Amino acid sequence: MGDGRGIAGGTGGAAGGVSNRPVWMQQYDLMGKIGEGTYGLVFLAKTKKQKSCIAIKKFKQSKDGDGVSPTAIREIMLLRELSHDNVVKLVNVHINHADMSLYLAFDYAEHDLYEIIRHHREKLNHSINQYTVKSLLWQLLNGLNYLHSNWVIHRDLKPSNILVMGDGDEQGVVKIGDFGLARIYQAPLKPLSDNGVVVTIWYRAPELLLRGKHYTSAVDIWAVGCIFAELLTLKPLFQGVEVKGTSNPFQFDQLDKIFKVLGHPTPDKWPTLVHLPHWQNDQQHIQGLKYDNPCLHNYVHLPPKSPAYDLLSKMLEYDPRKRLTAAQALEHEYFRIDPLPGRNALVTTQPGEKIINYPARPVDTSTDFEGTTSIHPQPEMLFLGVLQHHQLCLPEQVHVQFLWLGCRGCHKQTCQLSILLLKLVLEDLIQELCLFNVVLQHKHINSS
Amino acid sequence: MAANFWTSSHHNQLLQQEKIDVVHPEDKERGLTLEEFKLIKIYMTNHIWRVAQQVKVRQRVIATAVTYFRRVYTRKSLTEYDPRLVAPTCLYLASKAEESTVQADCYDEKYRFEVKDILEMEMKLLEALDYYLVVYHPYRPLLQLLQDAGITDLTHISWGIVNDTYKMDLILIHPPYMIALACIYIASVLKDKDTTAWFEELRVDMNIVKNIAIEILDFYDFNRVEASKGINDDKINAALNKLVAKP
Repeated sequence: MGDGRGIAGGTGGAAGGVSNRPVWMQQYDLMGKIGEGTYGLVFLAKTKKQKSCIAIKKFKQSKDGDGVSPTAIREIMLLRELSHDNVVKLVNVHINHADMSLYLAFDYAEHDLYEIIRHHREKLNHSINQYTVKSLLWQLLNGLNYLHSNWVIHRDLKPSNILVMGDGDEQGVVKIGDFGLARIYQAPLKPLSDNGVVVTIWYRAPELLLRGKHYTSAVDIWAVGCIFAELLTLKPLFQGVEVKGTSNPFQFDQLDKIFKVLGHPTPDKWPTLVHLPHWQNDQQHIQGLKYDNPCLHNYVHLPPKSPAYDLLSKMLEYDPRKRLTAAQALEHEYFRIDPLPGRNALVTTQPGEKIINYPARPVDTSTDFEGTTSIHPQPEMLFLGVLQHHQLCLPEQVHVQFLWLGCRGCHKQTCQLSILLLKLVLEDLIQELCLFNVVLQHKHINSS
Repeated sequence: MAANFWTSSHHNQLLQQEKIDVVHPEDKERGLTLEEFKLIKIYMTNHIWRVAQQVKVRQRVIATAVTYFRRVYTRKSLTEYDPRLVAPTCLYLASKAEESTVQADCYDEKYRFEVKDILEMEMKLLEALDYYLVVYHPYRPLLQLLQDAGITDLTHISWGIVNDTYKMDLILIHPPYMIALACIYIASVLKDKDTTAWFEELRVDMNIVKNIAIEILDFYDFNRVEASKGINDDKINAALNKLVAKP
């Protein structure tokens, strides 16, 4: 790991010669950008040697002189020590000294629960089969049990962070990803709530919403409960409207959504509730409303006596001390009855059942490691540039958009396509642009 | 990992003393002796401690910083990695790793490095440490063991001895709980507590515990002698100047 040391005696990332790129970049073929977050960008690359797919997470250099972001430090620190089938594998760390950027290279996972759920909801219009739901959940809990037994709380579990491997040896294997908020909780130097409230609000445990200070690994289990329900119904269980703006605002709507489904928490069932700041401070709001009829089973369409419902309700237990642990959840009856969970969550178990081909992650081929310049000239830029050069103007902006979308559909041919188009444009008059687009689209389809 | 020292990178990276007491060829070329190498490390450990006091970080952060510092020089030369810059940067990185981040400009003191230098060095350190940042310390096992032995009145003295062990390379060589045991052993001998029966029940290799204890005591002796001769800035500067001079 960390092969950057061969670079110019460690004085900087500039590899001598043509480009300004560090030597380590040469071991990858960059495919394009696959994600973006507050921390930076994620790229898909192939290693030149094994041709294996790697997701490279680039951390933006800090602008306010804070050096390597604490998020990156946490992620490196934890993943360098962790090793488990159901935890994403950090295969390399790279540094570009020239612009002080940091890159984490992970084994690439083609799918994630967010995309899988969305595919079922928006494209297939049918629920995820029982075997797949159970296998995904079991593996998620298995990874979580490993983390918790190593004193790591993830703190940001949500469908988009639960990765699932695509074709290959590990097909259908769940990988817990994104450890940017994870913490070792054995001996924190500061109370865990100190560095800002974490966990995306829909998956945030009630004790966090009520501003509990010393929260525990139980917050991850709550999130898994929410994810379980979402796998069953294809929509988020508690879809509260987030209050933004002030630091750490009180998320009343989120609590309200929870209360509506699970009923009101009572100090009777959750004794430490009375010590939570928001419970004490906001009495008329939280304590005033009454929802008496807990109806979780109606929301998730499960018979109240089914093992699946029993497991779900125990993961969504209000009192974090009574909530199931990952180890207990793995022992639950739900996982011992048919269909039994398996390693490849994406195979079919029923004869005659169709294998679902989940879509591959979209790859934006126009972005390179710097995140700004293009690997290939972006077609629309090239196009506009040529137009400008020849002092031609476009009849309508729509045409450019149309062209751009057409090119994006085919990642590999972007460059050729734009050149072809330019030729056509130059050969003829601009007024007939629409026609050429149609012609091109046909060519495009035929050639791919 | 955090729960299990034996599967940690810290455990995997433990070294023999002989591997640590090696002057990097690049430094050797410039005439640096093993003694000077050790002196610089002691001096810089103290320096980290002083800076830490100014920026007010916890003991564990300091201990992690010193461990990073010592680990770096099992791999890198003092010539290439200026210890005067590496020391505060280790503290900066450790404060992040231990979740008590302090601003980089707080470190700009005695040697007057710019924030930019610290941030550049931070990246080089990450590389030099091979991105392994989790470090275990004797403090926690110390408290647990003292409790278990029913000699919590020795907490203060043994804690102080643990602090002193960071002036040596013990943290790179032995599992932290063994260091804790050696410190308890010394403390109990100094304070005339009979812990023989308790140590026997632990079923640890007492030879190793005693050897570590002897090393610590030897170090105290050496330090007394050095202190009488005086480790002063001049001596350190002379050693450091060798590194900048052409071989």
